[in-house]
Amino acid sequence: MRPAPFVFVAALTAFAAPISSVAFGATPSPDFVRDVRPILEKHCYECHGPTKQKSGLRLDVKHAAFHSGDGSAPNILPGRAADSPLIQFIAAANVDDRMPPEGDGLTAAEIATLTAWVDAGAVWPEGVDTAQLEDKRDHWSFKPLTSPEPPTTRDSAWPRHPIDRFVLAKLEQESLRPSPEAPRDAWLRRVSFDLIGLPPSPAQVAAFAADRRPDAYERVVEELLASPRYGERWAQHWLDVVRYADTHGFEVNTERPNAWPYRDYVIRAFNRDTPYDRFVKEQLVGDALGEDTATGFLVTASVLLPGQIGKDEPSKRLARQDALDEIVTNIGQTFLGLSVSCARCHDHKFDPISAKDYYAMQAFVAGVEYGERPLRTPDAEAARREIAALRTRLAAADQELAHFSPLAGAGVVRPMVNARENVDRFAPVKARRLRFTIRATNSLEPCLDELEIFGPASGNLALAGNGATVTSSGDTIVADRHDLKHLNDGQYGNTRSWVSNESGRGWVVVEFPAEQIVERVVWGRDRLARLTDRVPTDYVIEVAGDNGEWRSVADASDRLPFDPADKKSDAFRRAGLTPAETDAIDKLVTERRNIERRLAAETDRQRVFVGKFRTPDVIRHLSRGDPEQPPAVLSALGNITLTPATPEQQRRQALADWVATPENPLTARVMANRIWQWHFGTGLVETASDFGRMGTKPSHPELLDWLAGEFIRSGWSMKHLHRLIVLSATYRQSAAIADRGLRSVDSATPSTHASAASPSFPNPQSAIRNPQLIDADVRLLWRFPSRRLEAEAIRDTMLAVSGRLNLTMYGRGFDLFDKRGGLAGFKPVESFKGEGLRRMVYAHKVRREREAVFGAFDCPDAGQSTARRRESTTPIQALNLFNSRFTLEQAEAFAADVAREAGPGADASRQVQLAYTRTLGRAPTPAEQADALAVVRTHGLGPLARALFNSNEFLFLP
Amino acid sequence: MTPHSAEHLSPGGRTLLDRRQFLSQSATALGSIALTNLLGGDGLLASPAPGAGLRIDPTRPYSPRPSHFPGKAKNVVVIFCAGAVSQLETWDYKPELIKWDDKPLPGGPAVTFQGPAGNLARPQYEFRPRGRTGKWVSDLIPHLAELTDDLAFVHSLTSKSNTHGPAENFLSTGFVLDGFPSLGSWVTYGLGSENQNLPAYVAIPDPRGVPQNGSNNWGPGFLPAAFQGTTMSSKDPVRHLAAPGISDAEDAAARSLLQRMNARHLERHPADDKLAARIASYELAARMQLSVPELSDLGSEPAHVLKAYGADDTRNPDKAAFAKNCILARRLIERGVRFVQLFNGAYASGGKLNWDGHNALKEQYDIHAAILDQPAAALIRDLRQRGLLEDTLVVWCTEFGRMPFFQKGSLGRDHNPDGFTCWMTGAGVKPGVSHGATDELGQKAVQAIHPLYDFNATILHLLGLDHERLTFEHNGVQRRLTNVEGHLIRQILA
Repeated sequence: MRPAPFVFVAALTAFAAPISSVAFGATPSPDFVRDVRPILEKHCYECHGPTKQKSGLRLDVKHAAFHSGDGSAPNILPGRAADSPLIQFIAAANVDDRMPPEGDGLTAAEIATLTAWVDAGAVWPEGVDTAQLEDKRDHWSFKPLTSPEPPTTRDSAWPRHPIDRFVLAKLEQESLRPSPEAPRDAWLRRVSFDLIGLPPSPAQVAAFAADRRPDAYERVVEELLASPRYGERWAQHWLDVVRYADTHGFEVNTERPNAWPYRDYVIRAFNRDTPYDRFVKEQLVGDALGEDTATGFLVTASVLLPGQIGKDEPSKRLARQDALDEIVTNIGQTFLGLSVSCARCHDHKFDPISAKDYYAMQAFVAGVEYGERPLRTPDAEAARREIAALRTRLAAADQELAHFSPLAGAGVVRPMVNARENVDRFAPVKARRLRFTIRATNSLEPCLDELEIFGPASGNLALAGNGATVTSSGDTIVADRHDLKHLNDGQYGNTRSWVSNESGRGWVVVEFPAEQIVERVVWGRDRLARLTDRVPTDYVIEVAGDNGEWRSVADASDRLPFDPADKKSDAFRRAGLTPAETDAIDKLVTERRNIERRLAAETDRQRVFVGKFRTPDVIRHLSRGDPEQPPAVLSALGNITLTPATPEQQRRQALADWVATPENPLTARVMANRIWQWHFGTGLVETASDFGRMGTKPSHPELLDWLAGEFIRSGWSMKHLHRLIVLSATYRQSAAIADRGLRSVDSATPSTHASAASPSFPNPQSAIRNPQLIDADVRLLWRFPSRRLEAEAIRDTMLAVSGRLNLTMYGRGFDLFDKRGGLAGFKPVESFKGEGLRRMVYAHKVRREREAVFGAFDCPDAGQSTARRRESTTPIQALNLFNSRFTLEQAEAFAADVAREAGPGADASRQVQLAYTRTLGRAPTPAEQADALAVVRTHGLGPLARALFNSNEFLFLP
Repeated sequence: MTPHSAEHLSPGGRTLLDRRQFLSQSATALGSIALTNLLGGDGLLASPAPGAGLRIDPTRPYSPRPSHFPGKAKNVVVIFCAGAVSQLETWDYKPELIKWDDKPLPGGPAVTFQGPAGNLARPQYEFRPRGRTGKWVSDLIPHLAELTDDLAFVHSLTSKSNTHGPAENFLSTGFVLDGFPSLGSWVTYGLGSENQNLPAYVAIPDPRGVPQNGSNNWGPGFLPAAFQGTTMSSKDPVRHLAAPGISDAEDAAARSLLQRMNARHLERHPADDKLAARIASYELAARMQLSVPELSDLGSEPAHVLKAYGADDTRNPDKAAFAKNCILARRLIERGVRFVQLFNGAYASGGKLNWDGHNALKEQYDIHAAILDQPAAALIRDLRQRGLLEDTLVVWCTEFGRMPFFQKGSLGRDHNPDGFTCWMTGAGVKPGVSHGATDELGQKAVQAIHPLYDFNATILHLLGLDHERLTFEHNGVQRRLTNVEGHLIRQILA
């Protein structure tokens, strides 16, 4: 479709071409600077100029004008206006296609000028551009690490080691002085929360106060770093970044039951001080390094499960692309501090990352699937052997038990149907197929979690693994839960079950590869004994031999009627049996249950959600029809390209080797900065996951490089950086915003920065400078920047000071809601005991559902990566922390435990003393004591505990 | 209300006052200090530099902030129909489909989201012309249909996903992935709220359950938690409004003890805004404890109002409960709450609890429409009668549409992200306009195609917010509700 004005102009120029336009009296061939650029400037540069480059198109710089533009480049074809997208866009007849999208568009004359210019060869002289394309690679973080010398400072007494010299030099530059050292007890409380996420115990406070040895501070730090609590605290920081959760996210948000081994791996890695370069490699290619669980990193994101993805091809492709995108995003952000995924649709607007770079990165992980894989650790191998042995024992027990089940249809009344497990025994019969038809249920569509069929001396003939196939009347499919194939997959439970698509009815047929002799069918709705709805209460079992005729072998007619109130019924009826027989049954039943329980546990031990690896997908630069994109590292940072034939694991290995080297300018810087941020609340680079050109510049560039260098020199030891930081004079400063630290060091040499802040400076009277006015955000660290504790630290601390914290480490998470995953409507657990009193890092993390009390304290929802926790203050937080049952219960427990410690007959004063010491690590002042006593005497310790838990002193790092 | 001088304020309030040079304030019944006017009333916040996110004062996250330019609307009610309402049974009349009923679509897709496609199917309800505009609207929603002259329809919307989860993310956050801030969070981040005694942003789930993508629809993503939607409904009040089993006397004792603790602490740590902000937050919470029960108490609503909304319908408890949610929405708007999201339709349930009509569309839509129609129409009328529609924008939306053909072997339609309808009415919206169109069978948008980005950009515009300037830095990107997309749909603006 050719716009009308264009036809006219084309005709004109074609006509005009051979003859001098001057002689013809028409406009001379348009000059770029005089005629063309003003038009572009007027209509185009707002969106395609120096500040914005919509759709990647930039029209104010020659090179870009001829080459840029997503999808439509090149936009200017010299000599061919009719084919040039630029002209087609401005002259489009359809308003919806026309550029610019708003307003009246270009005048016919303007269109004519541009068209004539393009047809005349689009002459764009060199050197006329007012702007220049920047070299996006010219950026501090892409340059090699420098080895700066710690600067000399005027005050040589304050610095304890190099960190302090860098910080002080900057303060001196701004004519500021550091704050005085924090009191010992404040530092102890600060470093304790910081390193282990819990306050020091009263005994630790007393011991430290009394410890006058010169290395008392160092001893505390070593003790904290050696504590297993350290890994629990610091793993949470890492899990925030990689957006770890125990559900799959999106609409269905089902449980991801074996994700937690990755969480445990992170805790262990921090506790062991796994060198960071090794830590990176393990997470990318741990399967090659003996750390199978570490690759959980690759698959931490939300993902659509097969049942949620559309059956149409575009849906499938998009879902796979999204899944791969999340992996690339995670790698780019976490390790390199770069937002690579912007380049998925177009070259990165600010950073030197092209769409080609992006797809080359994707190719490294193109063989990664979200899913579980069997672990290959010795522990898991043992579990698998154990599983095989247990299965044999289970079969033997069943065989024996079978003797006690009455034959169906033999005139004996059989036990009623139950939800867990039912046996139908009949005389051995030849069968090629067996049909189980349900005629009624206790509720809804019927569910069978497994249908097992046995012969006189055989294992389960119905297993898919034995070649049996299944068909049904119709299925309700729910991803990772209900599917026909679950009927004979050898796995029990609701999440591995079949559900009919009709209420109260349905049938399934199991077909064997060849005719078999069968004599027993074992079936249930939920062998894990959790659910009791959807139970088939009326059914018939039929078999057909090779001849195809169905005959009934068992049905519900001789069973006792179903009684929902009877919870105890099992597959055996003991009436009429001798005591010895009853005993034998009971023993067998108990043994069976134990075996089943162990089977479930062992199964958990050997499968983990850490990604599955397969032949990589062919990655193409999307929607451009380009040839295959081989794996290659970001072109701005290296030139490693693999061949497309490189096998899956070697791809990840190559990527890991490239990320985790001292030569990579980003890796050490990004992690050193994260560690700094987790100590001080803000990083030297404020945007911890963005070291690109849109990120903030480091406040102390030399210090960052020095730290990164020190990190590498120490063998990438994170604990080494912790020691350096928490023992520094910088970290030991008081948090107070007082005027003691405000005095200018040398009022004769105000910095330019300061002059800008207060134009009247210098003035002898203004020698005292208020750092609050110069640096309210404390980026220069003239004091310790205090901050509110995170959700986890608040909850853990409330439990700890109440004497209730359960320090069990590792394993499956405890529940915060009434269910571990699912569509919606999560009901929060309000009252916790046992497992629920563990540290919050061990909570089963349901993506998107914020914990009912502490979620409001800026707990990430594991949707996107959280490089740094926000610190918001809301009335909802106040309501939660003041009124929730959690708080009230801990207050009550706290009161009881304090009363117990105070001893019988202790007076209220003693109790108040103890309450303060436990929660705040100090004794109350006389005034506080008086306030508290007045309340305690009337209402007991409960309200005091509640107030302490809500107090600012309790909730903030000192 | 007694005027008090600064000496009577709590230290938290005093710090704020000293800083803000405020002079007087009033106390609440609870003895806490009302910072309402203080927090709401001063316009000292610097307007943001272009492209650099807003700076939110931590002591006053909800204080009203100036819009980018004068907006027509101050508040928003979003009626969010979860499960994907069929455009063909509601607003997008396709007589051609009647002719094609039960015939295969030539060249149509063999397989769509849920499986093989069946034959084309006529609209399952009768349509008739409505009002002055004579626009044809379905009998499925007779009450809403009566408002046709006031509504501005966009018939040519498209979504980036045909799966409920990602598509509800896309509608609510502008991204198909999990973890991005919702529209309501962006709006309250941008504008704060007019009422400091209530949450700035309230999400009201359907009485039958929360929508398919749950809290993502009102989540703050990476914005500060202050901008998360607070959920409440006529059935479920705000959590933790009171301490269970604690007497008033004990409660007051704990509260005043806490106040004294924090006051002494602040004296030792003067000038610390964060501490002052926390103190203020407890005082706001105390106000909320008083305001929320009053807000949720529908006992003061006269019988004729309950009747108009259908809140008295004893035969249809789901409808009555949804009607009460609608009344609650009006009460929130009346009180200056910035953003109210009213959900109709719950989670995935084979179309039983929401608009996901795959199998038995007509049977299920009869049920859902009876719940939605009268209460939602009454809400719009009531807002207008009270003059609230002058500065309130009402948006009706759903995550995508449905196919013109039935699924093979079923009586329902599959997901269709390529052309569907949403509408707006109220402040700043041109009444009685139908913009854009799908093809003659209603399968794909063909005229004035608008990805949902455009719809969201237009909502922000009506509030005086430029979708390209409302940004927040997250991991290296100045994030926006509209990603790098979005064009205003000017044709529906008044």
